[in-house]
Amino acid sequence: MGTEHTSVPRWQAEPPAFDARARSCTVLALGHDAEPVAGAWTAGACSAGIPVSAVRTDDLGEALALLEADLASAVVGWRLHVAGPEAEVLHVQARARALGAVDSEVIAHVTGVPARQVLCLHCDAVTETDVLVGGAVTCAGCGGELHLYHHVSRRLGSYLGYLADAEDSDPPVLETR
Amino acid sequence: MTATSLAAATTAVGSVGPLSLHVVGTDVAATGVRTLTLAGAEGEVLPAYPPGSHLVLHCGDRRNAYSLTGCGIRPRTYSVSVLLLAEGQGGSRWVHGLQPGDQLAADRPRSAFAPVVTARHHLLVAGGIGITPLLSHARAAVRWDRSFTLLYGYRPGAAAHLAELRELCGSRLHELPELPDFLSAVESALSSSPIGTHLYACGPAPMLDGVLGRAAELGWPEERLHTERFSAAALDPGEPFEAVLRRSGRRVPVPSGVSLLGALEQAGVPVRSMCRQGVCGECRVGVLSGAPLHRDLFLSDEEKAADDSVMCCVSRSSDPYLELDL
Repeated sequence: MGTEHTSVPRWQAEPPAFDARARSCTVLALGHDAEPVAGAWTAGACSAGIPVSAVRTDDLGEALALLEADLASAVVGWRLHVAGPEAEVLHVQARARALGAVDSEVIAHVTGVPARQVLCLHCDAVTETDVLVGGAVTCAGCGGELHLYHHVSRRLGSYLGYLADAEDSDPPVLETR
Repeated sequence: MTATSLAAATTAVGSVGPLSLHVVGTDVAATGVRTLTLAGAEGEVLPAYPPGSHLVLHCGDRRNAYSLTGCGIRPRTYSVSVLLLAEGQGGSRWVHGLQPGDQLAADRPRSAFAPVVTARHHLLVAGGIGITPLLSHARAAVRWDRSFTLLYGYRPGAAAHLAELRELCGSRLHELPELPDFLSAVESALSSSPIGTHLYACGPAPMLDGVLGRAAELGWPEERLHTERFSAAALDPGEPFEAVLRRSGRRVPVPSGVSLLGALEQAGVPVRSMCRQGVCGECRVGVLSGAPLHRDLFLSDEEKAADDSVMCCVSRSSDPYLELDL
């Protein structure tokens, strides 16, 4: 499998411009590094007279709460602008999609990739790691050695991992779900 | 099933090629609009189709695409409603002349206007005879309990399928025989549709352009906008040619009326495919020599000019031979 077909997002170094086609928007800044980008977006919304609700936080839960509150009443024409570390951005994107947003309504900028969240396909546990794609991670749930595969689930907002030696060893004994 | 009826079923609904259908009923859906009900030879189940699909009828020497009005699940009949166009190319006159028992051929249903399954609400906008694919959408939406609204604009007294739609849709149908009312209903829907709404519109070109233009101004992304134009391209059957397969050393004849993809499949040559209408790009095959006759919407102009690949579901060959990397 070449990188041509990977679902791992390739983020642009330059932050995308504010989407001026918006009729209303939500701006989420996660972490310190996201502030300048989010500030420029918010300024863009204000100068165009577009209603904006914005939050700057280190707490993903707080950002998701604002997103959910805004989406509960949003009409088509709304845009989400989100900046922050990759794991948080992927999570926000997944939640926005689950609540009805389409890709072109979510403008994202990643400020860095300090950690990746890996979903274990065997036990469903999510492990946070700084290992690179293609590396090995010990699953926090079942203890298996996971191969951090070059696939990002759009639905879950996490990387997928599977047992690196799945065909050579006995699988871990899991409780029936 | 006996061998005889199996053979009969195969001739009407084989795995490839056109369908042999006959007219089992005709009806007047509105002034100048004729509904045809078509069935296979044995009343067998016809190929299913997603809502909003169309059927290309072989109307004498013409091929015309008409929207299927059913919900598309295990159909034993196909229904199309055709507006008589006195100044058209003759396809609608031909359809209006058909009588029960008449035989006709049709290509398999093609989908280019399907509902988006992840949508949270479906906003259906129909102008005049453009109601036909949206009747199909409404039936499927009712069947699957999907949230929808249907805005139906028409000239007073000329609304096809109105009684049926009232029964099917109830309060979800907005009947808009006056143009100003139709325009203000569209404006209101475009300004206040909850996020997650997808729009599906079919009608005359000026209406579609108006709806799309206003939607764009109101910030609707293209992903949420779906239109069906009356002039859905129906491709001509094309000249016969021969596909020469370099890697396997085989030669596969492609008769007129059979697609290159269909001929390859019939010859047992596996080719990955999906949309089968030149849109998705899945069936791209490398061309080693010969001049492809490009008829797809997938390749860019530069890629078409390079003549080094072909979308084999719709494209053919300008030369008697086309050498493929298969």
